[in-house]
Amino acid sequence: MSSGAEILRVEGLSKSFFGVEVLHQVSFALHQGETIGLVGENGSGKSTMMNILGGIHKADAGSITLAGEAYVPGGPRDAQAAGLAFIHQELNLFENLSIEENVFVSGFPRRWGRLPLIDRGRISERTRQLLDMVDVRYPPNTLVGRLSQGERQLVEIAKALSVDARIILFDEPTTSLTRRETAKLFEIMERLRVQGIAVIYVSHILGDVLRVCDGVQVLRDGHLVGGGTRDEMTIESLISMMVGRQIENLFPERDTKPSVAPALTVEGVTQPGVVKDVSFILHESEVLGLAGLMGAGRSELARILFGLDPFEAGSISVHGEVLETVTPETCMARGMAFLTEDRRGEGLLMEASIIDNAGLPSLQSYANERTGWIDRTKLAADVADVSRRLQVNTTDYGSMLVKNLSGGNQQKVVIGKWLLRHPKVFLLDEPTRGIDVGAKYEIYKIVNDLVAEGAAILFISSEMEELIGMCDRILVMNRGEITGIHHRHEFDNEKILETAMRTSLDDFERSH
Amino acid sequence: MSIAAGRIGRRRFTIGALLAAGTAGLPIMVKAQQGKTVALLFDSLVSPFWVSGIEIMREEGQKRGWETLEAISDFDDNRQFEQVRAMIEREVDGILIIQTDANAVIPAIRAANEAGIPMVHFNRPPAESDAYSVAIQADNRKIMQDTVQFMVDEAKALGGSYKACILIGDLGDVNAIQRRDGFFDVVDQNRDMIEVVSRVSTEWNADKAFAGLTNALQANPDINFLVTSSDFLHPQIEQALKIAGKWHPRGEDGHVLFGGFDGDAGAYQRLIDGYLDACGVQNLFLEVDMAFGAFEDLWAGEKPEKLLLDPGFVITQANLEDVRDEMWGYIVWQKEQ
Amino acid sequence: MLRAREASGKPASASAAGARHLVERLILSEYLVFYLTLIYFVAVLPIVPEIASPRSIYNMLTDMLPLLVVAIGQTFVLIVAGIDLSVTSIIAMASVVGASVMTSDGGYLGDTWLAVPVGVLTFLVVGGLVGWFNGWSCTRLGMPPIIVTLVGLMFLSGLAIWYTTGHSETSSIAGLPRSFVAIGQGSAYGIPHSLWVALAVGITAHLLLSRTVFGRWLYAIGINRKAAEVSGVPVKTAILWAFVISGVCAAIASILYTGRLETGTPVLGERILLDIIAAVVIGGTSLAGGKGKIVWTVGGVLFLVVIDTSLKLLGMSLFVVLGAKGAVILFAAIIDSTRQRILMRH
Repeated sequence: MSSGAEILRVEGLSKSFFGVEVLHQVSFALHQGETIGLVGENGSGKSTMMNILGGIHKADAGSITLAGEAYVPGGPRDAQAAGLAFIHQELNLFENLSIEENVFVSGFPRRWGRLPLIDRGRISERTRQLLDMVDVRYPPNTLVGRLSQGERQLVEIAKALSVDARIILFDEPTTSLTRRETAKLFEIMERLRVQGIAVIYVSHILGDVLRVCDGVQVLRDGHLVGGGTRDEMTIESLISMMVGRQIENLFPERDTKPSVAPALTVEGVTQPGVVKDVSFILHESEVLGLAGLMGAGRSELARILFGLDPFEAGSISVHGEVLETVTPETCMARGMAFLTEDRRGEGLLMEASIIDNAGLPSLQSYANERTGWIDRTKLAADVADVSRRLQVNTTDYGSMLVKNLSGGNQQKVVIGKWLLRHPKVFLLDEPTRGIDVGAKYEIYKIVNDLVAEGAAILFISSEMEELIGMCDRILVMNRGEITGIHHRHEFDNEKILETAMRTSLDDFERSH
Repeated sequence: MSIAAGRIGRRRFTIGALLAAGTAGLPIMVKAQQGKTVALLFDSLVSPFWVSGIEIMREEGQKRGWETLEAISDFDDNRQFEQVRAMIEREVDGILIIQTDANAVIPAIRAANEAGIPMVHFNRPPAESDAYSVAIQADNRKIMQDTVQFMVDEAKALGGSYKACILIGDLGDVNAIQRRDGFFDVVDQNRDMIEVVSRVSTEWNADKAFAGLTNALQANPDINFLVTSSDFLHPQIEQALKIAGKWHPRGEDGHVLFGGFDGDAGAYQRLIDGYLDACGVQNLFLEVDMAFGAFEDLWAGEKPEKLLLDPGFVITQANLEDVRDEMWGYIVWQKEQ
Repeated sequence: MLRAREASGKPASASAAGARHLVERLILSEYLVFYLTLIYFVAVLPIVPEIASPRSIYNMLTDMLPLLVVAIGQTFVLIVAGIDLSVTSIIAMASVVGASVMTSDGGYLGDTWLAVPVGVLTFLVVGGLVGWFNGWSCTRLGMPPIIVTLVGLMFLSGLAIWYTTGHSETSSIAGLPRSFVAIGQGSAYGIPHSLWVALAVGITAHLLLSRTVFGRWLYAIGINRKAAEVSGVPVKTAILWAFVISGVCAAIASILYTGRLETGTPVLGERILLDIIAAVVIGGTSLAGGKGKIVWTVGGVLFLVVIDTSLKLLGMSLFVVLGAKGAVILFAAIIDSTRQRILMRH
């Protein structure tokens, strides 16, 4: 693909957080009308890279040249002024404002020069032009809250175009889009390319990356480990660069076989609008995967099973006994543990120590029943034990705040806090989200150890490779229902699963 | 006038009074030659009466060569107790106090007794107790009687029959009760001529006074005899009467016979404008003099009565020029001109 | 906890760097408020030497105890990221209801041996009930604490006045038994009885917060309520109890205040709400929740009381007092934000 003049050059960029280097001497270039993909595992430094370009973080070392001039943004506004638009994974639109207000929120055109009166007419006209460019057929005064995710994405692009962006950064733009919306997005991206706008495209979906990008750069642990034009790359080569080893080695061996004894029996669990008639049996020593798209109801199901959200019909049994009332307390009393997908928001007390975090669910077992007096020595000893077992990368369990730990270590603390209760049934919701490859491997090993001890594990993940590598069986969920089940011997043939996913995807689209 | 326990709604007045006092200058600590130090413990400065009171005390203290210390409790009984203890700690020679609550002040009197420091209550006596202190109080009932008597005489001279309305203060405040009783002492003697058609309970709250009087005037549009238990309510009364079309000076048709109590600057202005017929005046100068005199007696080893009465006087259209020099509001009024 | 590290940058000289280091360490100390109190105390000593007299120190101690007790209750609520604005009205309500039980002036149990024990219990029940209602409204009805307790403040303030008019000829209720009054103003061997009450409340509260499951739950809820829920913490019950504790502490403070004034009055404590919250926050407890210690609250209350006492001893007029107090609190707030900035830098 032909490219124009060089517009962006990044040289020797480095960045550390809390003494941990997340970007190391990264260099690459971007040309007018060029789209490059930035891929890498979670924690590889992609987001940091994007945040530095977007003016959110400052680089520790290195330089950025934008159209021949040094570019040192002091904040997102500087980035915007320099013609660099950043479209975040979580869209930054105000749902209670109209499309036009969102597009111009950072600088409304004024009536009669500098008077603080907004020139509505000009806004509407300009917004209409911009929406035409991205094929959104809504009046400019439509509330953003009424648009679909894909349409909002396009509004974000319109917003970028409104400030005459020369470079647009996309961070995982397709995660919440339907296939049709994704196709639409790619079409618009093609138009941008023709207009000479350069794009940096960050995504986990390697197929998409190879489809829309002219070139790909691969990050691993903060290092740029490879790159090239799309013709030189395959999904397999990208993965092996990303993880630094062959896929076969990504998951530790497990030689235990699932028992026939049921650990968690779910029958007809229904909550209108969330899940519908969900039934399955999770056996002892089994890892049962739960696959599905975002919004398919996987996390919602896990929350219901742990009593965090209500359900209208159905029953939940643990080791053959039906739970009469389902609350976190009763579930925990029966030996269940729930690892939330939202580590920051729900999993950890960021402003507290490892002991405070790990001890939280099991405090009562360390306390005098009558007085509630905690045996702090025993608690500290047990937390130290479990932290060593999980190889948490610190020995300061009592005063270091968990917010200063890396993602992987934080996740180990979350696992550790449940291990102190010795649960038998684990609901793991995205247990490896946002942690680096090495830590992932360790978490897989922990899962295998638990299974070896007879624990039953419901494993929710958005990463198909992970499910295939870890699970004995995989349930597929779609729009709150179980739509398929796959056994380990079928996994070898990836295509079976892929077809299953696509079928459900098409269903999903038809229904919209 | 006097104010009992703090109630919501007075803050506006506090602010106004504070500003007034602020502009009047703040002789905070006047170093004295004679070496006597007296603490002035007010509970607020919410009306002209208190603002003028504290100023007269400062001046009077200066004249006698005393040093004065000040503290305001902002209607907080506990804080006032702590202020008394702090003053005891400062080893002042006397404590002048205007307490919010007649009961809650007793422990403070005991503490002062224990330390051997004389305590004088200004304008409000404490509740009965075994503790010893001297209280200066206006003879509210007598002053109110004289005031209303003058109005009744006027009414008799003018002839006709009268519908009366009284604005009553907070019934938790002895002063308010005494003024109410003084009013009825006279009115009840003249039932053939005067009928009391309305008693407005103000709880010393200007907003309540305004609302209550407005309602009363609507229910009884023929009210033509009005007495307030405190002059600080004059602006509200004037407003309510204006709305009812009844704000006329003496001599004009529809003039409402109007009697006040306290004797502040506004009252003097309304007297000379002819809207106010009579006003019971607490003799603030005399009360300060009595209070400071009580300190001197106590220091001299004497033991004055627990309650000393200020006989006060009534200023009327008849004696305006003769007695106005004794009226504290007139002095304030003069300064304002 | 957190120690100051050597400040970055080039120190002009060794002594300058040392001084800066010391100041930073002071500012970063979690007991900063105690140092500030000490500095203030030493600074005003030449102006009002009386402040250091044994009697003045005794007065300061007895002045701070009731305030401390109610501030301790507030600390619990602030830790769970709540706020209890109704405490002053609880003080007033408990004062008049308790007094109406005990007064020899026609009280329900006046002049019987039951008067004092039942009277004290009445205080606690009033406080506990209001606290329970506050907590219930916040957790079961999901109303924001600031609204619930603000409404409680207004309603109870009015109710207390209304209640008094039904139980007394005057605006307050006097004639309380000597043995009750002694709790608030008596002393033995130079030690005020109220000190024992405050010590008992303080030590219990400290142990409850730092050593028990309940205490850890409160911190967890304050730091991250959702995470606490997911971890099986009975969040609503714990918050409910925090409010009950705040109510009961306010009631205990009311016993001390009512005792020292020998009077049940419906305006008791009406003006100290800001002092209570300011004391807790100046101590270092966060309005955002999850952070707070009883020791800090002791420091905050001490700080305010020392300032108050010095201003009282000066005998300045109210405007000067309010201005000076505001300035000192502002100064403390500036120090605190400086501390946050330094912490961010490290």
